[in-house]
Amino acid sequence: MSSADSVSRGTGRIAIHACLSFFCAAVLASCTTTTVDEFRQGETGIESHESIVILGRRQGSAYETREEFVDCVGNRVSRGSRGIRVIPEQEFIDAMFPWFEPRTAPLRTSDLQALMEEEVVSSKIAEYGIRYIVWLDGQTETTSRTGSISCAVGPGGGGCFGFGSWEDDSNFDARVWDVSSFANVGTISTDATGQSYVPAVVVPIPLLARVEANACNSLASQLQQFVNGD
Amino acid sequence: MATPKMLRTLTGLCLFLALSACGVNSLVVEGSYPSPNIRQIPLTLGVYYDEELRDFTYVEYSETGKEEYRIASGQTHMQLFNSVLPAMFEKVVVLDDLASAPAQQVDAVFAPRIEEFQLALPQKTHLDAYEVWVKYNMRLLGPGGEYIADWVLTSYGKTPTETLRSVEAGINDATVGALRDLGSNFTLTFGTVPEVRDWLASQQQQ
Repeated sequence: MSSADSVSRGTGRIAIHACLSFFCAAVLASCTTTTVDEFRQGETGIESHESIVILGRRQGSAYETREEFVDCVGNRVSRGSRGIRVIPEQEFIDAMFPWFEPRTAPLRTSDLQALMEEEVVSSKIAEYGIRYIVWLDGQTETTSRTGSISCAVGPGGGGCFGFGSWEDDSNFDARVWDVSSFANVGTISTDATGQSYVPAVVVPIPLLARVEANACNSLASQLQQFVNGD
Repeated sequence: MATPKMLRTLTGLCLFLALSACGVNSLVVEGSYPSPNIRQIPLTLGVYYDEELRDFTYVEYSETGKEEYRIASGQTHMQLFNSVLPAMFEKVVVLDDLASAPAQQVDAVFAPRIEEFQLALPQKTHLDAYEVWVKYNMRLLGPGGEYIADWVLTSYGKTPTETLRSVEAGINDATVGALRDLGSNFTLTFGTVPEVRDWLASQQQQ
């Protein structure tokens, strides 16, 4: 085999991989729809020495806001040229123990005002330089599961056959509390829906809609602009 | 060809798998608890963990009455109180027995007791969460063993089911959640229990 043949085959493989990747990306991207709403109730803005904390609501019995979603929003809000300093959720909750546990966390801004009268609480908030507390509340629900996939393994090998699909729906609200005025300065809501498919002909190929990741990205970029007062 | 050593290893592995599938799953709850950020009470507290609390183990039975999970949480309860109490009181002394309290010059002795422990597993409740409820009897005694206060506290913890999370990890996280709930509830309500409030007022007058 000549070296020219080898280069040509290598280029061909790269082209096939690129086409497949493009196809997959196109399928994945087309599967999710995201809507973001902003409701502003007050002026916002943040200084470079100030920070925010993003906390998940976990009071409800039916569901609780996932820690991973809270971390995702926090990471994205802190990125970029307009990035904001975000205090990690668990670090803040541990430092403020027992005031921000699921049963004791303030539910209204008036509760926060009462809480700030405790010197130990207000001094810790000041130590962290927290200007805004952002409460994330929501979940991702999976509905409309259809289809089935069967897999079998034998002495000569194994494989799967079938088709499965489901719909994911992410609904999250971010309420922004201004610690200096004890006021709710706004709410950002995001709703993302997407259909995922898993066709299986010998090998299952998951075509997953990145619903929660898209909800996180949209909410985080809107929240970053909102807090910066853009 | 299989050697005798390989056969022995294979037999051992099969036996281990068979036994582990049938036996009770034992779990020692492990967690870490933050120190509360609260105003300290300028008193010396003795704390007594009786044998029942130290060795507390809850057994979850299957629907056929067989032991399914054996959950030891006594040590982690002690860890919680050892983290919470020094932040609440100026000085805390762990007592080996109640009789040693006067010699340690404590103002009061705290003796917690677990009354009830309940576990809800997703495979039984068909909910997407592991849940733990615990009911406690909190007792506050004078250095000589005389009654000061006796009250009931309940705590609740839950953790959602997740792909690749084992049942043991789910139970552990829900129990640690319940203990954090106990810690927060205990620190914030301690001074509001009527008998405790009266005792604290009497101590301030002295």
